[in-house]
Amino acid sequence: MSESPDKSTRCITLRLTLNCDLAEVRPATLALRGFLAEHGVPGEELVACELALAEACNNAINHADDTSRHMRIGVEAACSPTEIEIRVSDHTSGFDWPDRVELPDPTCERGRGVFLIQSLMNSSTYLRGRGENCLVMRKSRSPHGDRFPSDDPLNLEDVTLKLAENERIITDMAEELCSCYESFSAIFRYSSEQKRAVGLEDFSRQLLDDLLQITAADWYLLRLVAPGTGDLRVFAASEPGLLTPPLPISSSPTRPVAWEVDAAIKRRDIWFEHKGSISATDPLAVAKGVSTGFIHPIIFGETLIGTVAVGKAGLHNPLTAAKINVVHTFADFLAIQIVNARIQEERVNALLVARDLEIARNIQRSLLLKTLPQLPGFGLAGHCESARQVGGDFYDVIKLSDTSLLLVIADVMGKGIPAAMFAAIMRSLVRALPDLARHPSELLARVNRLLFDELSEVDMFITAQLAFVDAEENRLVAASAGHCPMLITAGYGSQIKMISPEGMPLGILPDAGFGDEATPLEESCRLLLYTDGLTEARDVHGELFGQERLVEWMRQRSDDQRTAGKLKEDLAAELARFQANMALNDDQTFLILAR
Amino acid sequence: MVAPDGFAQQDRLAVLKRSMNISIHGDTLSIEGVKELSAANASAFRDEVRTAMREPLRNIEIDLSQALFLDSCGLGVLVALHKTACNRNGLVRLINPAPAVRQILELTRMHRIFEVVKL
Repeated sequence: MSESPDKSTRCITLRLTLNCDLAEVRPATLALRGFLAEHGVPGEELVACELALAEACNNAINHADDTSRHMRIGVEAACSPTEIEIRVSDHTSGFDWPDRVELPDPTCERGRGVFLIQSLMNSSTYLRGRGENCLVMRKSRSPHGDRFPSDDPLNLEDVTLKLAENERIITDMAEELCSCYESFSAIFRYSSEQKRAVGLEDFSRQLLDDLLQITAADWYLLRLVAPGTGDLRVFAASEPGLLTPPLPISSSPTRPVAWEVDAAIKRRDIWFEHKGSISATDPLAVAKGVSTGFIHPIIFGETLIGTVAVGKAGLHNPLTAAKINVVHTFADFLAIQIVNARIQEERVNALLVARDLEIARNIQRSLLLKTLPQLPGFGLAGHCESARQVGGDFYDVIKLSDTSLLLVIADVMGKGIPAAMFAAIMRSLVRALPDLARHPSELLARVNRLLFDELSEVDMFITAQLAFVDAEENRLVAASAGHCPMLITAGYGSQIKMISPEGMPLGILPDAGFGDEATPLEESCRLLLYTDGLTEARDVHGELFGQERLVEWMRQRSDDQRTAGKLKEDLAAELARFQANMALNDDQTFLILAR
Repeated sequence: MVAPDGFAQQDRLAVLKRSMNISIHGDTLSIEGVKELSAANASAFRDEVRTAMREPLRNIEIDLSQALFLDSCGLGVLVALHKTACNRNGLVRLINPAPAVRQILELTRMHRIFEVVKL
């Protein structure tokens, strides 16, 4: 390389030539750097010019044929206060200079030289001539460029170089620090905000709005994996146009339908440029048009939480490495918050369910009488044990006269508050119709008509059994709405009779008919009304208590003289023994009448 | 400077080897002291690193804190090494790239395929 600065114009023009050897390129670029630095060109522009010259020289050397290999390459650089011009002349046969070069595929090892020249310089023109070609590259100088007028070019060169370099480093560090500071302060702010009950959606939106500010991006789209379906569903977006339908996470044999899905499946960042390479059907491409950015999968532990896409309008101002790091930090932070919020939500739901059950249990308890009305010559006792998931069992005893009463037992199909509410309504209706109590079938028909609309609306039904007990005539009239049969001892204890009059559960048919069945109440007889929670009770091996066991229990107790209260305790103990501390699946309710 | 090319190539390798420091940490090959990656030394650098990448090494870590210059040939060689690492399910990590170099990595979007780390 030989250098001949034009002394007459005080280094305004640099001229040098180099051999057709790659080893001479670097010294030439350093010479250019020194020359430009001397003219106060700042660090970033120095790097650009140095690299552009290197690429131009590399090209000239790599395209040289056997003849031109022995000819020297000329370099001229001129620096005015407003512009830098660099000319590289070669003696190759020349090549076609493309107007605008796109970046090659990231995995390509070649093809970035001309892209770099075009990106770093404001203009580049390749003039082809006979035996010599000339690449002219121009770069405008930033207005504050010439801040170091010089008397001593030698020393100043070093000083300016150092200053420019330091300035660049400081700018860079400042940017990095700013990003870190902003992301950390934002995260601290959000951590404290999260303690105040901001919804996860608002929280994410605030966080991502700030992310846009910090990274100078234009838009974001946050999708979360929907719990049930596993789709990627929009959770927050910077603009309404991005509220696109859910994306199923599945890859087609060819390629995924959307870049977001691609990022979710591959679990790595996917970059997009909204031009030729993006599929025309991609939701982001459709919504955003020309923009650049990337999609980051949000992962917590091994679990995919969702994806966040961050983009900028246009193609020429992509996100820097520092900004990408900020996006990653925010995404990690968001993942933790989302997981926390979900755990919190589950906890709240569990509390709500517990509260719901508590209310239902209170309603159910309020339906049961503290003391049962008694009938001369008869004993009466009731038992109701609620399952953890309270159902709609209840019993009632309504005194009609000194010698008659109505026994009611019912099971509302369903759980929780709705079942308890229907039990309360049903109980009130029966109590409001004492005139019909002597004909339980008519009472059931009436209650069915009154409740039908409400019950069928919520797909619930009630099984019930009524027994009108007349102590004067010692007889009983029973009617049933799809309820399990009542058991009565007959023939002075030796036999157990089931009373099971025809009838559909309440809430099935609007005009359902019911039948009455009359039975004498013999000396020492016992009557048992119960719900299917008894016969369907299970032991540790999963075996049912069953009707037979219940019948057998009654048979064994037919000749002992225990009161209804004692019998109730005995049956409750029998059930408890059978279930051996197992949690109840269903309410267990029964009424015992003993003569 | 008008040395025969064969000699120049050897010379460059010698210079490269003098400044570069290659070490092994677990399954990672670490390279420090890279001053520049340009058309003049890039392929020598690539060959040097590939020779050192013996099984079962998977990852390549290149400290670029002292690298003042990176051109398209240097980028090409980083891509080539990226492929070498990928073939072994590893990755190329670029440590503390100097600002000028980082700027070029970003301009050519190469920071997306390498892990660029600030320590």
